[in-house]
Amino acid sequence: MKPFALARPATLAEARRLAREATPLAGGTDLLGLMKAGVAAPPRLVDLTGVGALRGLRRERGRGLRIGALVRLAELEEAKDAPQVLREAASLAATPQLRATGTVGGNLLQRNRCWYFRDEAFPCWLKGGARCFARHGENRYHSILGVEACVAAAPSDLAPALIALDARAALVGPRASRTVAVADLYQAPREGVRDEHTLRPAEIVTEVRVPEASLARRGVYLKQMERKTWAFALVSVAAAARVHGGQVTDVRLVLGGAAPLPWRAREAERVAEGTALDERVAAAAGEAAVAGAQPLEHNAYKIVLARELVRRALLRLVT
Amino acid sequence: MSPRVVRTRVEFEGEINDELSIIDGRDLPAWRGALDVVGARTPRVDGVARVTGRARYTQDVVLPGMLHARFLRSPYARARVLKVDASRALAIPGVHDVIHRTNAPKAAFRGEETIFRDEVRFAGDEVAAVAAVSDEALRDALRALVVEYEVLPHVADLEEALRDDAPRLEEKGNVSDSGKQDRGDVRKALAQCEHVLEATYRTSTQLHNCLESHSAVAHWDGDRLTVWESTQHVFGVREGLRAALRLPLSRIRVLCEHMGGGFGSKGGVGKYTIAASILAMRTGRPVRFVLDREEENLAAGNRSATLQKVRIGLRRGRIHAILHSSWSNAGQGRWVADPTGPTNSLYDLPDLKTRSYRVVTNAGSLSAFRAPGYVEGTFALESAIEELADRAGIDPLQLRLRHLAKKDPLSGYAYSDKRLRECYEIGAREIGWKARKRGGAPGSTPDRRRGIGMASQIWGGGGGPPAYATVHLNPDGTVVARCGSQDIGTGTRTVLAQICAQELGVDVDAVRVELGDTDSPYGPTSAGSLTVASVGPAMRAAAADARAQLLGTAAGILEVTAKELRVERGHIVSKGTRTPIKEIFDQLQNYTVIGKGSRFPNPERIAIKTFGAQFAQVEVDLGTGEIFVEHIVAVHDIGRVVNPLTAASQVQGGIVQALGFALTEERVVDRGTGRVLNADLEAYKVPTVRDVPRITVRFLDTPDRRANSTGAKGLGEPPMIPTAAAVANAVANATGVPMRATPMTPARVLAALGAR
Repeated sequence: MKPFALARPATLAEARRLAREATPLAGGTDLLGLMKAGVAAPPRLVDLTGVGALRGLRRERGRGLRIGALVRLAELEEAKDAPQVLREAASLAATPQLRATGTVGGNLLQRNRCWYFRDEAFPCWLKGGARCFARHGENRYHSILGVEACVAAAPSDLAPALIALDARAALVGPRASRTVAVADLYQAPREGVRDEHTLRPAEIVTEVRVPEASLARRGVYLKQMERKTWAFALVSVAAAARVHGGQVTDVRLVLGGAAPLPWRAREAERVAEGTALDERVAAAAGEAAVAGAQPLEHNAYKIVLARELVRRALLRLVT
Repeated sequence: MSPRVVRTRVEFEGEINDELSIIDGRDLPAWRGALDVVGARTPRVDGVARVTGRARYTQDVVLPGMLHARFLRSPYARARVLKVDASRALAIPGVHDVIHRTNAPKAAFRGEETIFRDEVRFAGDEVAAVAAVSDEALRDALRALVVEYEVLPHVADLEEALRDDAPRLEEKGNVSDSGKQDRGDVRKALAQCEHVLEATYRTSTQLHNCLESHSAVAHWDGDRLTVWESTQHVFGVREGLRAALRLPLSRIRVLCEHMGGGFGSKGGVGKYTIAASILAMRTGRPVRFVLDREEENLAAGNRSATLQKVRIGLRRGRIHAILHSSWSNAGQGRWVADPTGPTNSLYDLPDLKTRSYRVVTNAGSLSAFRAPGYVEGTFALESAIEELADRAGIDPLQLRLRHLAKKDPLSGYAYSDKRLRECYEIGAREIGWKARKRGGAPGSTPDRRRGIGMASQIWGGGGGPPAYATVHLNPDGTVVARCGSQDIGTGTRTVLAQICAQELGVDVDAVRVELGDTDSPYGPTSAGSLTVASVGPAMRAAAADARAQLLGTAAGILEVTAKELRVERGHIVSKGTRTPIKEIFDQLQNYTVIGKGSRFPNPERIAIKTFGAQFAQVEVDLGTGEIFVEHIVAVHDIGRVVNPLTAASQVQGGIVQALGFALTEERVVDRGTGRVLNADLEAYKVPTVRDVPRITVRFLDTPDRRANSTGAKGLGEPPMIPTAAAVANAVANATGVPMRATPMTPARVLAALGAR
């Protein structure tokens, strides 16, 4: 690891100023690994964990659920005020040790797990190189949907759940603050955009907010792993909907591990919207979710998984 | 009686060798009757030291002025090293030395003259070694080394290396013969069969991932070399250092007090050991050389990936013929473990043809890995047998019983003991085999099916000479027992203390066992499931010798004949009087009793084997391909069980490691570059505690009195052998689809289900 300078601000204002020239560090469960692997080498880090304003999870009357960016996954997992789908997603991430350290903000902004990206020796396209090694290489864990220049898959467990709840993220930059839909934090890396995230330079995520209306939704998070715990999703799905009088509305279906960004399965949502969810509708939605899938050499099984998880998640909403 | 030389058969890792052995005196008769210390559940004598951190492992050794060392490793799968320029690295403050191809002294290593080759042959091959005062300086130095390579064409994948257009890595090609067996006429026999199953099996490369990585600390005092090493064989390391450095054995001492696992990968000297020693001799400072996790998974050994083809035929309800061919990815290894071993020796099969091939590739070398070859081979053999039986509508257990071998098919010798039939009976009862139906049963949810499957185990484990021990009886009645064996983590120290205490007549607590020191009497490698069966009898003989001396002494003091005396729980007992050993010695000042013992040869014309059977119950999610192992029943026949507690741990550990092989573990190599893509414990998936099912462990626990004087055989490897096949058979039973590749990931299960 290269030597780096570390700043430890106590206030958001200070952090905001420091972040102009430094890389934010929270739990460090992703960034430190990238630094040890030689993939990231920031000369300056700004440790956000001393900034009290970034902490705390609370229900605010009429304004939904506010989740500070520094809330640990372990806190979210236990938070009774948090929607079920979010708690399930948190509880299925990583390990108890990592969940005790990793933060909501860090989980949303973690880099992808592509093994070519994470090996310093491969000058892959996303790191500024000329080609994607995974596209015709070992790509069992990579994307089946929405691929442009990079075939890596979105790794976050929280992102699909938050997007299914129409959550928004608050960002502070050097001059301005803004809020965006959590979904809009992500993009498929493509020509001219070698990044999975849309943050502007020096922006920090300060909080995530689940709107009041979404708190009434039922939700479920299903995650298929290669072992029983401590694995990134082969495919995951967050499903949420209002269930009222035997009908589902505001259906959201968001896939993880299937595309370079958390993937809204909009066709599948349309199939399910307004129906009394039954086996037939759920199966049709599953089919719709993968209608545009384009598998690579080693990941066609993800189509089967995505179809099946969408079907199951929808049925779970109404049982 | 003076010492004499005899020939004896010793089985090691599936290979049977005739070895010369020196015997002195007469072996003890096997134990008869009930024993109180041997056979008792005994907590590990070093358990507290291990869990409190008091136990000193190699990586805990810190010496004054110690330097740290690391290798620069090749980024290329195959290349010629044209030039190494160390000038910039040596200019970094704190960097003491760099050795490489042109400046390192010659050092013989596995048939080559140097540890740094002109041609590097896998991504991770050693190019240079650096010694520096800190890890930071080391890493800077490694980045500052300038190496010119001429990159050469490579092939890292087993099946690609078999192709005609693959780069030729050895003069005679990439494939070489490594084992064959012929019995009867297979071609003719297959033509007569009513059912013939033809199947291809694939197993993936499994990485050892010992908790403690490979490591050595070398200290050179100008005359003597002392090396602390995490090793399964301190004497093997000493011999390796002798050959590499050309020092007399008297000037090399190798120590391994505690170690964090080896599983076959720490069988002898490593390049890092030799490099640490050379650097220590050149710098005059102690050198600590510890591989990190990535290096472990690039260059510290593995279980070869295999491609296996089986043709097996049934006629009139019996297996009439079997043809089994196997290709193993040796990487740069010079041998391969033979996966056809179980096929050759497990069943009574009249017409058989097996072939085993070593395939060389530009990948890290294999090393022994807990039942090397047998884990892979049993997966193919036992899967094929169960599938064939189901096809023919025969109960797979019944089919196996029809071929129960009454004598060793390879040698024709009778077994010293064999209770495989009882293993089957107990296991079948525990798992509920009678309820097994072709096609499985409904699972706990509509998406799941449930199935059960089984597999048999054969392995050596008989041990043999040479092995020696000494037993020093202190004046206070306590005991120091010594052997140059080592405790690989299985509880060797505890089991030897029990054997010593039992024979000598003292409490286990009174015995301290000193292992892992080449200044002790020779102990064999902690491998091949041979420690208890080899060192145990030597320890027992040493204790018996000490007891005889003690009784002779006590008889003189007590003025009775030795025959009237016996030792019981630290006391000399004679016609109702009990005298503590200490009181006898009080009259003798510092008189020390030194008992010595050796392992006697194995019986002639007898095959010594361990047997077992495992049964698995699983559920399979047909929609996601996920396997849920619910229950494993393991029944093993290993002769006498010295310590039921550590023995059960062995079985549980073996099964967990086998479940990794079966379900989650697979080294992934990028074909374009030959680089390992998952050389870390996040991407390379060993089982977690959530992956461990209910495990029922049963032993027959009947002493094998013909095997050796303790009646005990080895257990290190047997529990790992049948698990994958039992799980695969259970999955096949649940789904109706054979599983012919490991690990059985959701992707592979879905592919198999999709091909229905």
